[in-house]
Amino acid sequence: MSNAIIWVIIIPLLGSLLSIIWSRFASFIAISSNLLALAASISIVAQVHQSGPLIHQLGSWQAGLGITLRADALSSILLLMSMLVISAATFYATTYFSDPLKRARFWPLWLMLVVALNALLMSGDLFNLYVTLELLGLSAVALTALSDNRAALQAAIRYLSIGLLGSLVFLVGVALIYTGHGTLDLVALSTIVQADPLSQVAFGLMTAGLLIKSALFPLHFWLPSAHASAPAPVSAALSALVVKVAVYILIRLWIDIFDLTLTPLSGMLLGSLGAIAVIWGSWQALQAERLKLMAAYSTVAQIGYLFIFLPIIIALPKGPTQDAAFTALLLMAITHGFAKSAFFLSAGVIQQYCGHDRIAELGGTARALPLTIFVIALSGVALIGLPPSGSFIGKWQLISSSLQTGQGWWIPVIAIGSVLATAYVFRILGHAFGPGESVGRVLNWGHQEIPALMLAIFATLILGLGSAWLWDFVSQHSAFLGS
Amino acid sequence: MIELLWSIFDVSLVLLVLALAWASCSTQDMMRAVTLFIALGLILAIIWARLKAPDLALAEAVIGAGISGALLLSAIKDYPSTTTVLSRQSSLVEWVINGMTLGLVIIMTWAVWHGLNMSDGLRLSEQVMSQVPVSGVSNPVTAVLLNFRAYDTLLELAVVLTAVLTVLNLNHKRADVAAASPLLRGMTRWLVPLLVVTAGYLLWVGAHAPGGAFQAGAMLASAMILLQLSNPSSLQGFNLTVLRILLVIGIFIFVLVGIWMMSVNDDFLAFNPAWAGSLILIIEFAATLSIATALTLAYLGGRPTGWEFTNPVHSTKQHNGEPS
Amino acid sequence: MISQQLLYALAGIGLFGIGLRATLLHQMLLERLLALNVCGAGVFLIFIAVAYGGIETAVDPVPHALVLTGIVVAVSATAMALALGRRLQELDDE
Repeated sequence: MSNAIIWVIIIPLLGSLLSIIWSRFASFIAISSNLLALAASISIVAQVHQSGPLIHQLGSWQAGLGITLRADALSSILLLMSMLVISAATFYATTYFSDPLKRARFWPLWLMLVVALNALLMSGDLFNLYVTLELLGLSAVALTALSDNRAALQAAIRYLSIGLLGSLVFLVGVALIYTGHGTLDLVALSTIVQADPLSQVAFGLMTAGLLIKSALFPLHFWLPSAHASAPAPVSAALSALVVKVAVYILIRLWIDIFDLTLTPLSGMLLGSLGAIAVIWGSWQALQAERLKLMAAYSTVAQIGYLFIFLPIIIALPKGPTQDAAFTALLLMAITHGFAKSAFFLSAGVIQQYCGHDRIAELGGTARALPLTIFVIALSGVALIGLPPSGSFIGKWQLISSSLQTGQGWWIPVIAIGSVLATAYVFRILGHAFGPGESVGRVLNWGHQEIPALMLAIFATLILGLGSAWLWDFVSQHSAFLGS
Repeated sequence: MIELLWSIFDVSLVLLVLALAWASCSTQDMMRAVTLFIALGLILAIIWARLKAPDLALAEAVIGAGISGALLLSAIKDYPSTTTVLSRQSSLVEWVINGMTLGLVIIMTWAVWHGLNMSDGLRLSEQVMSQVPVSGVSNPVTAVLLNFRAYDTLLELAVVLTAVLTVLNLNHKRADVAAASPLLRGMTRWLVPLLVVTAGYLLWVGAHAPGGAFQAGAMLASAMILLQLSNPSSLQGFNLTVLRILLVIGIFIFVLVGIWMMSVNDDFLAFNPAWAGSLILIIEFAATLSIATALTLAYLGGRPTGWEFTNPVHSTKQHNGEPS
Repeated sequence: MISQQLLYALAGIGLFGIGLRATLLHQMLLERLLALNVCGAGVFLIFIAVAYGGIETAVDPVPHALVLTGIVVAVSATAMALALGRRLQELDDE
């Protein structure tokens, strides 16, 4: 039964190979692979809920000698979110590409992206994490370049160069860890690593590499152009998932492995950078002229929120209070994943119908694409953090935990960020509900809008109302690998 | 005396490799930079051999210097021959970068010095060496690569495939160059078969001596590249469906063997010691084909004519055109 | 005399530094690509230097396998970057 961990990686991989051979049926292959993988991920979450972390020892070799795949509360929830977003974006992608050649090129790479995401989340080995990071980076760049225009290619080249640099810096950290501790297994390392000079330097290097990949200010400069010029389903995956899993690895390393190595100062540093990201990203989003560019800057801001959690989680003692803060982090990450992907898919619909995504010229869109604008409003609610969305609960808990630890200075940042988010969401809605004749015909309940709708409902309603289950899940099966 | 000679040798190698790297990164002329980079690759191969890593020496020579060098050389003409250094804009930025890099080097040196004195280092290698006899091969590196950590190799093949798919998506095959001189063509007539046989040998011998699928695949790709360079029309007309199958067969066989072993032994890629040797050879054979195809296509620059099918399934909705 | 392990590890760190500096300073894709490859070579050298135990003792084969993987990943990324650059050049020429 722990084979579900393997299936969730292998099924998309086989799908990718088959879609290269039989490109006529590629859409069908992609949809079925993703649905099967989604089923596998649901099975994984159910099993973790029932009996704790799932382990699969590849090759039947013991941990350390071979590679371990591991699903615990944190990674299984992220896996489920990832497969839900991917499935929705897959359905959308079947109608997005009008050029059949482009569609045939898209599917193998898209499925490879899924393989990379799932393999990364399930990985329990440090070098394996590096390989999955590389696969993720390369497939993301390949998908970005599919737009095949000058802006997209320039963004893709920059994304690739920065991404490679980040991976190499991460790899140096891995090399240092192996030098000192002689093992690559995450569980083993979580017990061995102390606060010695080598581990500290390795910790710094790996964090630096991951910060590049998660686009934390000031290393975020590659993100806006890449996410804005990629095809819409790709942008959804990039913002919602690709940057998220880099943050996941960072959290995994900080809390599980380097918990004795890190200092409150390092937490403060990242928290401060996160705070700057929130304000700067939201401000840039407000000024953006295009929908997708606004969404990309909003991602920079939302990632900032996740980093603000770090100094707070570090300052809290192990136990229910830390679990609460951690669950709030998870909740915010997941809510953003759903909301941002819904936003990007809607932006894609608007772009298909208006021929552009310039915000100032969106007049009349509310009449022509009512469902899409409704979806944007719903995801906007989640991005701002209004009730009943999951991010409202997340932010509330963040404020409460920061007061608990005496780090009240984050609160004004959160407030400003939320106000700016309100401003930029309403800016879009204002233009959309304004007068204008930007679209030719009215679209009522077009089937390509459904995936985005599903995602937005998840973000705003289901996660908010159902978050108690999440709290339960995380505290029951603590996400941490063990002290 | 011997010790002293070895030390001189080591220090010379280190100085040489650092000098080549510095020269390659600072020169203004791209042709010179790439040539120095290829030389760097060859010196690295010597270093690998010195550090008792013969598999790596082979791989570095054929992949790191050979294939990378070929790719970079054929790309030079796409670029202007002068470089652009940030310092033309601001020497303050250059000083900051120099300082940061120097600081990082010092910190890393300190860390490595501490790390080498920490004694937990060798536990994993003892574990590995003790399990090599049951791994189906006697070359420890092949055992790690295709048995203990085979999953990493699987993902690595996926990385290669992703890269080659991108190359195919973006560009057409490079325009054929003029036919080469008779001298090259004559040489190729015996060189290419020799390379193919050597590739086969490397594949076979990888089980008990330095070698393996990656080195063999890259050597096979070199043979194809040589064929292409000397006689440009020789690779045309290659059945494109076969080409697609060759690209994916490495990963495909790997996954199938893994699933089969999962049904027999409960864990993905868990080889029975009795079958391990044969299974590894099968996987390596398929992988060699895929790697060779991928690297050749990467060098050729893009998709051959007729690569994409012209009658795929059309969508039923008509849109206003591809959004940008 | 410092051990060979330390000597070659320092060489690896030096290569990494040279490559890093060049990556940050240069703007052109080809230069950056060379620099990143040099960085990669540096990291690999650190791995292998640490795996080396001396002329008499056996080496640790795990880093060898890891670096082999790394070399293949590096050449794949290089091929991809060059393809992107070539396509951009084509679009610019139109």
